[in-house]
Amino acid sequence: MSASFEKGINTFKEQIDAPVATFFSSCVHCGMCAEACPFYTETGDPSRTPITKVEPLRRIWKQEYTLLGRLGKLFGLGKSVTDEMLTEWETLVYDSCTLCGRCSMICPVGNDITYMIRKTREGMALSGHAPEGLIGATTRAITIGSPMGVKLPALEAQIRHVEKELGYTVPVDVEGADYLQLLSSMEIMNFPEFISAIARIFQHAGVSWTISSKAFEATNSGIQIGVSEIAAELVERVVKAATELKVKYVISPECGHAYTAIRWEGPNLIGRPFDFKVVHILELLDELRSAGRLQTSGKESRRLTYHDPCQIARRGGVVQQPRNLLNEVAANFVEMPDAGAMNWCCGAGGGVSANERADELRLKAFKRKKQQLEEVQPEALVSACSNCRIQLEDGLEENEMDISVLSLTEIIAEHLLDRKQQEGQQP
Amino acid sequence: MTAITNDREFRAALDTLDAAQQRVIAAAFVRNVLHLCTDERIARVLEITENRDASTSALDDALKTARATTIDCHTRCGSEGDWLAQAGYFVARAAVAALTPLGQMPGGVAWQAAMSARMAQTSKSIVTGDDMAGQESETQYRLLAGILNT
Repeated sequence: MSASFEKGINTFKEQIDAPVATFFSSCVHCGMCAEACPFYTETGDPSRTPITKVEPLRRIWKQEYTLLGRLGKLFGLGKSVTDEMLTEWETLVYDSCTLCGRCSMICPVGNDITYMIRKTREGMALSGHAPEGLIGATTRAITIGSPMGVKLPALEAQIRHVEKELGYTVPVDVEGADYLQLLSSMEIMNFPEFISAIARIFQHAGVSWTISSKAFEATNSGIQIGVSEIAAELVERVVKAATELKVKYVISPECGHAYTAIRWEGPNLIGRPFDFKVVHILELLDELRSAGRLQTSGKESRRLTYHDPCQIARRGGVVQQPRNLLNEVAANFVEMPDAGAMNWCCGAGGGVSANERADELRLKAFKRKKQQLEEVQPEALVSACSNCRIQLEDGLEENEMDISVLSLTEIIAEHLLDRKQQEGQQP
Repeated sequence: MTAITNDREFRAALDTLDAAQQRVIAAAFVRNVLHLCTDERIARVLEITENRDASTSALDDALKTARATTIDCHTRCGSEGDWLAQAGYFVARAAVAALTPLGQMPGGVAWQAAMSARMAQTSKSIVTGDDMAGQESETQYRLLAGILNT
């Protein structure tokens, strides 16, 4: 038995808490989770059903924590977890699951299967069975501060570009600001217009905000790969920056898992409550709208629909806010079937997009999103996650669907009411 | 004689252009940063964009090619970023903007092409340390003024 395998097995054992034991005990083997998962529905491969993915964890639970399992182990009966098994399961646990949570919603006995897959990843990672792409991203997150290797000078260059465009300063390291805005590396690298959008919106609404030069990264590779110690370290960096800057709120940007990491897992990971509140950017924008601080003009005439990022809607509960915001700027909005909490995943979350080996599979999973889109035939697809955005663009391109993909925050920024112009027009 | 000295004037002037003029100036912005993109598809797409006699179907095909190039050139989530390669991604995005029908690009076709072209220079400057992004805006002002003055 290799040292890493032994470490992995011990980690699996540590993952079995009361909820996990209850979930395994209460599974009725109905198979309903299968039909909730796009990696099963779009491949028809029975090994890709959600409950199959947690089989290593189930075997350890059975052998270590049930009477029958212990007896079986004593007499050499029952199936043990082997290194070969974990090798086989690596593609199921990482390539075939985005941690989207749809299986957990559908389970008739209320088992949070996603929670179990997340815990299975802990054992997989420590036994040396995690994808190269995620290992690289996690290593960079720890050593550089960004899974994509984005360093402060790069962010500063993007900020200078935005400042030149807008003609005013983007606040960095402003002590006592109300809000600390986090950014994902995807936004800094691929969609820097998001920085411009939030700067314009906050200027318009009079929001006191800042970016931290010490902890600007929102994403958390530790969550995706399944190493809680690393996830906790990344959360601590944000907490330290927020505390030093004395902010009241931390804003999670248009990134799905970042929101889960900082808002829902964050305090548990570091073992104490935050001294600040965490809000998703869409929650804040909707609050500003509701308070009359965010005023828009004009509407998009194109037929728009909205893709709910799983971690923001299903796992995070931010469902109504994007619709309130879209109502302000979309004249022709249409809902996809299963929209909201039961929306279908784009196919690229949970580290799948960082895993090149999973490319074919993630585009297969996208076929379910394609079906949803075909039912409503939109001209443009709005979302609020940079990772979803790239996957949606990729899937649409792959399937030759002529639909534009837009960021909700950026649309709001484009429709901000020009108050100076409005005042000039008043009699 | 029109002179443009800042982004407010620049954007206001762009907003006065019709669809054909927007495409012409957007193509000029892309042309100026084309050397930052190693993907040959964008050079071919740009030739079609610049052709005032290009058919609607040729423009549609060019837009699809530009979009596909953008997808191929982006930095995937979680992978190590290469800012020089990223410059090529922004050139491809500028080409997409130049080909997108008017009214479908937030902020306007030519404005987005200009911003993406500047982002291409910013990406390069992250590696080289120069300030070509600032120079790029000045060049864009001159290109637009030149078109407005003809």
